[in-house]
Amino acid sequence: MPTVMERKKKVVRMNGCVASAQAAKYADVDVIAAYPIRPYTATMMALAQMVANGELDAEYIVADSEHSQLSIAHGAASCGARVFTGSSGVGVQFAYELYSPISGSRMPVQMMIADRTLDPPGDFGSEHTDALSTRDMGWLMGWACDAQEAFDNHLMAYRIGEDPRVLLPQMVCQDGFFVSHITGDVDLPDPGQVKEFLPPYKHPYPLDPRRPVSHGPQIMPEQGPPLQLERARAMEGSMAVIEQVHEEFAEIFGRRYDPWVEEFMTDDADVVFFLQGAHAVTARFAIQHMRDKGLKVGMARLRTIRPYPTDRVNEILSKFKVVGVIETNMGLGSVSSGGSLYAEVCAALYESQHRPLVLSFMAGMGGEAIVLKEFYWMTEKMLDVQKRGKIEKRTHWVGFEE
Amino acid sequence: MSTKGTKIPDWLAVPFAGITPAPSQEKGQDLFPTGNWRSIRPVYRDKLPPCNNACGTNEKIQGYLDLVKRGKYLDAYALIKEDMPFPSVTGRVCYHPCEQACNRGKYDEAISIRAVERFLGDLGQALKHDVVKPGKPNGKKVAVIGSGPAGHSAAYQLARLGYKVTILEKSPKAGGLNRGGIPDWVLPPYVLDREIQRLEELGIAIETDCEVGKDVTWDDLKKDYDACVLAIGLTEPNSVRAEGEDKKGVLYGLPFLRDIGMGTSKVKVGPRVAVIGGGNTAIDCAREALRQGAVEVTMITVEANPQEMPASPEDLHDMVEEGVDLWHGRAMTAVLGNGKVESLQLHPARFSGAINASPININREATPEQFAVDNVIIAVGQRAALGWLPDEFKTARGTIKIDKFGRVGDTNFFAAGDVVQLGMGQPLMVVNAVGDGKRVAFNLDKVMRGEPLQPRTIPVDVIMDLDRMNMTYFPHFPRVQQAMLNPNSRRKTQEEVIQSFSEEQAVEEAGRCFSCGTCNACDNCYLVCPEPCIARPERSNGLYKILVNYCKGCRVCIEECPTGCLEGVPELDFDTGVVRMDTAFAITPGLHGRQAEELVRLAERPAKNI
Amino acid sequence: MATIEVERQILPILGSPNQGARFYNPELPSSEPFVPGHRTCAGCGPSIQYRMTSKASGDNTILVGPTGCMYVANSSYLCTPYNVPWAHTQIGSAGSFTAGVAAAYEAMIRKGKWKGAYPNIICEAGDGSASDIGLASISGALYRNHDCLIICYDNEQYANTGIQASSRTPYGGMTTFSPPGPLVPEGKKLFPKDLARMMAAGHPHCYVATASVGYPIDLMNKVRKGLNHKGAAYLMVYTPCQKGFVYETPRSIDLGRMVVECGLYPMWEWSPEKREYDYSFRPQNIRPVAEYLKLQGRFGHLHAEHIAKLQQFANQQWRMIGVELPEALIQAADARNQVNMAAAAEAEAVAQTL
Repeated sequence: MPTVMERKKKVVRMNGCVASAQAAKYADVDVIAAYPIRPYTATMMALAQMVANGELDAEYIVADSEHSQLSIAHGAASCGARVFTGSSGVGVQFAYELYSPISGSRMPVQMMIADRTLDPPGDFGSEHTDALSTRDMGWLMGWACDAQEAFDNHLMAYRIGEDPRVLLPQMVCQDGFFVSHITGDVDLPDPGQVKEFLPPYKHPYPLDPRRPVSHGPQIMPEQGPPLQLERARAMEGSMAVIEQVHEEFAEIFGRRYDPWVEEFMTDDADVVFFLQGAHAVTARFAIQHMRDKGLKVGMARLRTIRPYPTDRVNEILSKFKVVGVIETNMGLGSVSSGGSLYAEVCAALYESQHRPLVLSFMAGMGGEAIVLKEFYWMTEKMLDVQKRGKIEKRTHWVGFEE
Repeated sequence: MSTKGTKIPDWLAVPFAGITPAPSQEKGQDLFPTGNWRSIRPVYRDKLPPCNNACGTNEKIQGYLDLVKRGKYLDAYALIKEDMPFPSVTGRVCYHPCEQACNRGKYDEAISIRAVERFLGDLGQALKHDVVKPGKPNGKKVAVIGSGPAGHSAAYQLARLGYKVTILEKSPKAGGLNRGGIPDWVLPPYVLDREIQRLEELGIAIETDCEVGKDVTWDDLKKDYDACVLAIGLTEPNSVRAEGEDKKGVLYGLPFLRDIGMGTSKVKVGPRVAVIGGGNTAIDCAREALRQGAVEVTMITVEANPQEMPASPEDLHDMVEEGVDLWHGRAMTAVLGNGKVESLQLHPARFSGAINASPININREATPEQFAVDNVIIAVGQRAALGWLPDEFKTARGTIKIDKFGRVGDTNFFAAGDVVQLGMGQPLMVVNAVGDGKRVAFNLDKVMRGEPLQPRTIPVDVIMDLDRMNMTYFPHFPRVQQAMLNPNSRRKTQEEVIQSFSEEQAVEEAGRCFSCGTCNACDNCYLVCPEPCIARPERSNGLYKILVNYCKGCRVCIEECPTGCLEGVPELDFDTGVVRMDTAFAITPGLHGRQAEELVRLAERPAKNI
Repeated sequence: MATIEVERQILPILGSPNQGARFYNPELPSSEPFVPGHRTCAGCGPSIQYRMTSKASGDNTILVGPTGCMYVANSSYLCTPYNVPWAHTQIGSAGSFTAGVAAAYEAMIRKGKWKGAYPNIICEAGDGSASDIGLASISGALYRNHDCLIICYDNEQYANTGIQASSRTPYGGMTTFSPPGPLVPEGKKLFPKDLARMMAAGHPHCYVATASVGYPIDLMNKVRKGLNHKGAAYLMVYTPCQKGFVYETPRSIDLGRMVVECGLYPMWEWSPEKREYDYSFRPQNIRPVAEYLKLQGRFGHLHAEHIAKLQQFANQQWRMIGVELPEALIQAADARNQVNMAAAAEAEAVAQTL
């Protein structure tokens, strides 16, 4: 097999939805459960054509609802089939009942989520609340910020989730529109690379008439704690595997990602933005712009939110004086009375000797891009807090305050 | 890392993700023996079917009907042969008390058991070698006096037990009443001949024209044989004590039939014949008279109506079909004529008490009737010829005195059949004689071997109540009828009147049997159990096992058992056989840990064969 | 792309039992995929059905168990009575989890990832699942024609949660969500959905049939026909529940017959090839509904007019299958002809306690 350096790149321009579909094709999935809802639908449209063309041999099922999609996925994975499904917005929530069962029964289902603001009312723009509302259900979860990363994340997620030490389902998330519908360059691998990276899926105890087992018998309360403990162990145990897999990915495909937190221009920064997903792209441009003006600001992008890299976040963010968490989600009535990322950042930093001051910015809501002016405004706020040494207002609604 | 340093204790260990390995099909799931839920346990208790109970020789009728249902004709035949040596005979002649007792008779129509037995008997006759073999010779010799049903049966059973048997028969041909009392158009001679031949195949010697009292004496028997069975029957006809009974043309029923049966008859009946008597012999005589050339036959009975007659209703019906007239409520008081029968004098008569078991009151005050006939056949019963028997062994009734085991005094003589059954309250039938002969043979054998004799046990539970069975499973089907010859033509021939069942008919008729109170492996209980905790280790008759560790006592099986052999017994009656749990949730600590280990080893086990 | 043809087994149809006397059938397999030790009530109708279904299906079977009695009672305390693979799924996921299993095996066999004959895939959904929360998922599975059999064990209520009304609970059926009271003397005013006909009418390419535990051989044959049908099949089985119906426990099978003999649960089959109903099944007897109702405590509160209404319903069912109504049944549809019934006033005088 050609080494990473020798291999001729195969770069195709495509949007995030199609990138996800391509990843599913390279992963040779067996069962696809589709149901239309914007903006992720384009992934399923692309897959439908691939199956019809004979490029991918899979059972393509148009489910009757998102709840059914996830149930189909659950059923298929239980038999040992590699499954791909997805949704957006309220569709993610319609399937809510299935998330804990799928995770608890250790089925490595993969779900592509192109975020969409939750109702009411209908809003096609991206907020992360849809996926984040399921974050306690035991799925591996992380955001991509462009089409290439989306493609790569899907492959890594299969590898991690199907690892016998993990066996957990994965939500591979990308911002609706910003990633899902904006094209980017994607370097598609050789099938041989994928074959080396991603072994076939083998569940240890599938539904097989030759080795009958029962999945999910009813239990009494005293049996609950050991089962929950096992789930927690799996989630925690996945962290080592996540690191190992990112390493393997870099070796085979030549693209290296930090599994947990990607730092951008943080070396001498006092204040940093903390965010996940597509707004990192505009953030990078804004930070470069502000650096040119002499502002020492950086960005820490969270790549994996479940399992939460508590120690890593603690370690990295403790280097700074002020952290501005860009939420892009709704956590009504939460600790910060804004979004939900803030509380987890603060909890991660709680035992730190050098706790930075933490602000929460409600920005990029409803699918709106965060414009340059707003990045400047937020940076000003952070610098101001740094100067005062204390926080007067925890949460700022960007664009709605002076 | 929250889970660092955690340890799940053994007693809380659970399998991976709660995935549990499958339980075994043979034992069931072993975490929960749900048997301690019940208060009533189902138990298979075969009751005695009324047919088996009513049969004079307790044939396992339900058993052989079931085997016929399943197409196992040879096994069915062998089952009959345990108790009955000549099913092809009884299949033609028996008055079938089994059918009278048959529970199906209360539901629609009784099973045509006799016809099925005949089918099996004929099948057995067609075998080159019979299924029955003589027993290992024990060196003892037994004489059986009389080759009628009782003697035939006793000889048969004794030969099977290993005795060297000699039958002494006073008539020129063997067969007793089978030959000489039953007409050929009921029991064709070749059928009986074949049965006699089967006796010889068992090593039994038959000496005909040998009469006890003439050719052989009591002492001869005592000297030459180790034991003896007296089955001499009732060979002397009774008289009606009418005037002129000694005139020419007066015939007696049994001798009339016997001579025809032996082939030694010199009787030629005239065109008008009267038959005195209301029993089965009388009926046979009336119908035989037709075949001997009579044109008009009239039966004259004391009984007031056909229902009072002790005769079999079917035979009575067939006789009337053939054109015999039936007169009731009369007795013959005189035979009139000049040296020979020309007419009969009849007076009105009634039984003074019980029908056919009390003296007859003749109203001599009334005007007698005169009835012109050429012959009169008197068939009012028989008695024994016991001249040669030592007096100490005779009863007041004129029968042989025996104890309840059939033994004559302290001797090695036993008596069986009509000769001891007369006046005992049982109807005199072939099958009763067979049963008697069989029991006497077994008793004789016990005495020979010095074993104590056991009195017959009274049946405990004969099932006669349809409510104890489940009638839902028995749709109404009419009784399969045997074909019969046309009455007008058959009355002139000796051809067998009633035809055999075909194989299909036999199976169909046997299929109507309820199998009362006896498990016949119908699989109902097996299929309806919700657990399921009824195991069916082999597919043969009646073998089911309740897995008492699991049975919850729902009693659906008992409800759906068509034969009523399943009963519910209160659980408190049982001490053992159930795992008692302290609570409904009693789990032995660590059981789930064992499941966890089993699951891990699942991959090593061989794949299940699907 | 190299694909492997999926081999499907055909199960033989059982011969009829001899002269109605017994269920003995030499063709029945001896394997018992459903084994004892489960914690269903004594005499449980759905359990009886489960046993018969799994027997008819054999060892090459995968069972799907949406939440309900046949999940909770069968497997409570982390035990399992299934000797074939079985998986729990959500109550609303009956059809879709099953579809996933079916799709997985189609793909895995075709792509060479699993070798063997396509397994029998059976979903056992209660009527709460099939008629209410899981209706869409089952309809979807039938419409998409996955090769599977979806069975609704119909005990006409949500039994496992303690007896609540479902859309299959009959008119007049008492449950904890439809108790009788002065305002609602009949308890339940609504007539049930005719779920089986919905499935047949809406998915005419599927094999659809009704069955009852009162007729085991018929039930097993319908299971086999459903499994043999290449595509989706749906079976609606009447399975009495002692706890909810309140009857003498040994009569589970008897009730299964009575309900058909009273016309309340006609046995029919829908043929996907001929696209027509087969109404030819005739029970041994025809009875008025009162004979069925009086066996069950859940109907004990009914007045004459309620029973008459049920008789009218039953009479409609008889007409549907082409049975000439006997005079007695026509009479029974009039409340004035219901004899030996307490008058409404007397019934009200009895204190209502629940």
